[in-house]
Amino acid sequence: MKIKYFKYIKLSIAILFLVMLSCEKDDICSEGTSTTARLFIEFYDISNQESLKNIFNFRVQGVGNENVLSGYNIVTSSQVLLPLKTDEGITQYKLHNDYGIDNNGTPDDTSDDIITGNEDIITITYNTEEVYVSRACGFKTVFTNITIAVENDGDNWIQLIQPLNDNQSVIDETTAHFKIFH
Amino acid sequence: MLFFCASLHAQNDSIIKPADESIKIKQKYGLRLGTDLSKLVRTFLEDDYEGFEIKGDFRLTNKWYLAGELGAEEKTRSNDYLNVTAKGTYFKAGADYNFYKNWFGMENMIYGGLRVGFSTFSQTINSFEIYSQNQYWAPQYTSDIAQEFDGLTATWSEIIIGLKAEVLNNLYAGFNVQFKGIIDQNQPENFENLYVPGFNRTHDSGRFGFGYSYNISYLIPLYKKEK
Repeated sequence: MKIKYFKYIKLSIAILFLVMLSCEKDDICSEGTSTTARLFIEFYDISNQESLKNIFNFRVQGVGNENVLSGYNIVTSSQVLLPLKTDEGITQYKLHNDYGIDNNGTPDDTSDDIITGNEDIITITYNTEEVYVSRACGFKTVFTNITIAVENDGDNWIQLIQPLNDNQSVIDETTAHFKIFH
Repeated sequence: MLFFCASLHAQNDSIIKPADESIKIKQKYGLRLGTDLSKLVRTFLEDDYEGFEIKGDFRLTNKWYLAGELGAEEKTRSNDYLNVTAKGTYFKAGADYNFYKNWFGMENMIYGGLRVGFSTFSQTINSFEIYSQNQYWAPQYTSDIAQEFDGLTATWSEIIIGLKAEVLNNLYAGFNVQFKGIIDQNQPENFENLYVPGFNRTHDSGRFGFGYSYNISYLIPLYKKEK
């Protein structure tokens, strides 16, 4: 008769297994979760400061990164979302207005190509703070006290940079954090 | 369930009934002490788990038992972004009620139980990596500096459903499942309790949790009493 209890034990193992399976969704960080946010910049018209102004042939690349920022390889846009480094308090970007390549009349020879347009380099400095999200996503970075400076190259297309708030932070990316006038 | 009952009937047929129909059935009363085998097995098999539990019950009446558990657990949870160890001790106290009507001479249990559990523990974040959906600047910030939060506590209540069968004289094998709900807990700043010793893992969806136990226990008979 004692043997018959194993029937019970088998059943309970099966039930338990089902219970465990149903709990595992907690362990996957869903895409809808708000994790580390990007810096959201909108571009405004310097002569009409209420209206957004597109940048044409806009190309964005991080200084020290060999790839163009995905989604910003020669596009028309009045805004940009810039990922910030989470392991440093400084990130630099090359914002290239009206990017183009002049091949000097020799399409097969790239050595004499000249990049045209106007490239401005911005330096973003900030503090980082690690904020707990969930068991699946772990921690995200919140960026605080953000400032943006433009490197003066004598021919800047960027005229003015303004944060939307004092001591601007980046917690989410639903609304713009900075305005750039051009 | 049907199968289980049928087998008990079959067993009973082979028992020779004494001539005296008004025989008094005497049952054993005493202190039953045991351990959770599943915790021992997991300690051996799983690299990220160590646990031990002593359990006891004391029979008060025909149906009611005072019951409790005392234990210690250490559990490490890890994924790509977070590695955390919870470590601590716990006790649970309450009562079990035996629903099962035993046949002559048998002392098995199918029972329901209630417990209140209490744990004191610590959680250590061994390492983490910042989660970012955008990986333009990879790798993200990582920390390997252990960060310990100690002095954490949790209180919960438990409903238990289980069975115990006397497999040898005074030796019982049992299984139970536990449904739990946190009553109160203190959580670390900028973190949360992911695992509570005795309670088991917590869930994002709310206060509820589950547990189970395969146990073996020995009854120290103190006296016999009629039902």
